[in-house]
Amino acid sequence: MNKLSRRDILKMGAGAAAGLGFPAIIRAQSKEIVILGLWDATGAFADVGPINDRGMKMALEERGMQVLGRPIKYITRDGATQAGTSTRRTEEAVDGEGAKFVIGPWSSGVALAVSEVAKRKKVLHLFSGGTEDISGSRCHRYSFQWAASPYTAAKTVVDSFMKANPKAKRWHLLVADYAFGWSVEKYIKEVGKSHGLEFVGADRHPLGEREFSNYVQKAAANKPDVVAMINFGLDAVSGAREIFNFGLTPKIPLIMTWSSGVEELVQLSPEIRENIWVGSNFYYTADTPVAKAFVKSYQAKFGNPPGYAPSASYSMTRLLLAGFDKAKSAEVQDVIKALEGIEVNDIVGHMRMDAATHQNIRPYFFMRCKSKSAMKHATDFADIIATGDTPLPKEYGACKDIGGF
Amino acid sequence: MSFVAAQILNGIATGMLYALMGLGLSLITGILNIPNFAHGALFAVGAYLLASAANEIGNFWIALVVAPLGVALLGLAIEYVGIRRLYAVGHDYQLLFTFGLALILSESIILIWGPVGYSYLPPPILRGGLDLGFTFYPKYRLFVMVMAGLLVLVTWLFLEKTRYGAIMRAGIENKEMVSLLGIDIHKLFTVAFALGAYLAGIAGALTVPIRGVNPGMGVDMLGIAFVVVALGGLGNLLGAIAAGLIIGVAQALVAAYWTEASTVVIYAVMAAVLLVRPQGLFGIR
Repeated sequence: MNKLSRRDILKMGAGAAAGLGFPAIIRAQSKEIVILGLWDATGAFADVGPINDRGMKMALEERGMQVLGRPIKYITRDGATQAGTSTRRTEEAVDGEGAKFVIGPWSSGVALAVSEVAKRKKVLHLFSGGTEDISGSRCHRYSFQWAASPYTAAKTVVDSFMKANPKAKRWHLLVADYAFGWSVEKYIKEVGKSHGLEFVGADRHPLGEREFSNYVQKAAANKPDVVAMINFGLDAVSGAREIFNFGLTPKIPLIMTWSSGVEELVQLSPEIRENIWVGSNFYYTADTPVAKAFVKSYQAKFGNPPGYAPSASYSMTRLLLAGFDKAKSAEVQDVIKALEGIEVNDIVGHMRMDAATHQNIRPYFFMRCKSKSAMKHATDFADIIATGDTPLPKEYGACKDIGGF
Repeated sequence: MSFVAAQILNGIATGMLYALMGLGLSLITGILNIPNFAHGALFAVGAYLLASAANEIGNFWIALVVAPLGVALLGLAIEYVGIRRLYAVGHDYQLLFTFGLALILSESIILIWGPVGYSYLPPPILRGGLDLGFTFYPKYRLFVMVMAGLLVLVTWLFLEKTRYGAIMRAGIENKEMVSLLGIDIHKLFTVAFALGAYLAGIAGALTVPIRGVNPGMGVDMLGIAFVVVALGGLGNLLGAIAAGLIIGVAQALVAAYWTEASTVVIYAVMAAVLLVRPQGLFGIR
């Protein structure tokens, strides 16, 4: 009889491990529900990722990190605000960690690439941002849009602003040159027609622009009644600051069409905020029970009120969990079916996920910043002066058939 | 026409700040023979020091004096404690050191001042704007243009017209020869690094009322500073000044007619010049 070699023993050991150890791991994995938060820690939205993470964690912790009696494993990846990195890390998380549910990222352009991964890998994808393509021309069964449609945002902003400033007909637009900017610009111009607006200029700037003086001089030369910015984050902060430095605000109003709210406004001095009007997917004084509880708990935890970023990730996570509850299943396709047409009352008020397009039908907020003397405390930036939830008219809709699984 | 004149004026104002950054980086790069990756972080530290000092003291002008001196001291310490120990082991280590230092300084900014930026208004006397006939221009930007121009001029005069400046230029040309002539080359390096850091610090400080402060501001500026140095010619001080102005004006003019390309033009100008003159506009090596 041959003696066992060292190599044979190792082989047997490996076989035993495969037979005994791995099923235990597989059993554990099948019980856990793995959810990926794709939040940027580097790149243009490096400042937003960590607060996205806060909101998502809070929603999961509310449920004791469990759903359907099963533990939730929350994993995060840094998408670096880049399509290549984000798609690669999403695929790694799906293949390597067994993630079947993805929330994020923050950039519209990057999210469109991640949405394609979700479709190919057949995982559920929730996103909040300004591109209309996810629930439009590139819609499919696996991706959902939480943010208001760019049309809803544009309609709320233009209608509400014109109601307060009926004579401000000459508009100069300053637009971030990527998917989100283009979508919102299109509808601002479309809605503007019904008010007889004249667009005296519409300049596009690259994402991550920090030198706005050149754009502002150009805007000033057009002598507009109002400047409307369609940009986000530090781009919006830099733009607003320069518009003030060049003496346009507070003489003429500035509209931040699609703002993060608190996170942007806190970076501007009260003097700069004077005569700024702000459209946002969330503002922390929203008068809903869920918002009140969330804001109270967020403020207690982090010392400042939440803006759009943590609120969106919080509400998207709650929406996903509501999908699990309704489906009574953690299978991707069951949860998708449950989310289609779901109606919930959440932080922004009533939300309905349109089954035909996967677009969230929900209110959009419009605020006016307060003057320094009217502020009651350091974060009393603005008053909500209107909300609007007009959905995208069917004739504009580009999602004709969302398709099957 | 007045619109073009306004854009050129704006380009010069921005270009002066770029020149200030490029001049400091060129000085350090020329003397040490390594790109200083921490130059952007020093710019950001200068900005944060100004904002903090101005808030604490309540006086912008004192803060404007104190903040860049703080950055110069930091530069002095970096050279004395860190880079000096790495001269013997070669450029790779110095390069890695400045790269690591950039990360450490950026993270320290977040730890000390937090991840969210904020705005700081110019001092009351420099708020608002002036009607120049062809355009309305912020007073503070005019001040920055004059101040940066003066700083560039004084630095250039120091390097060109003083004995110590001549030694420093000689150090850039040939370190070994300067050393053989009995000049303490280490002291020269320390002073050059501190001066380069001072220029980055004051550029950062002057920028605050225009761009506010945020932790990523150093990274945003570092790329431009490298372009200025490459375009002007490595270690060439006059080149850095010219390149800063060229980049600023090119950016402003392109933004006037083709806004989408206003960032990419910086790199396009550099690429075009380097294709024709690989040593940069004024470089000889």
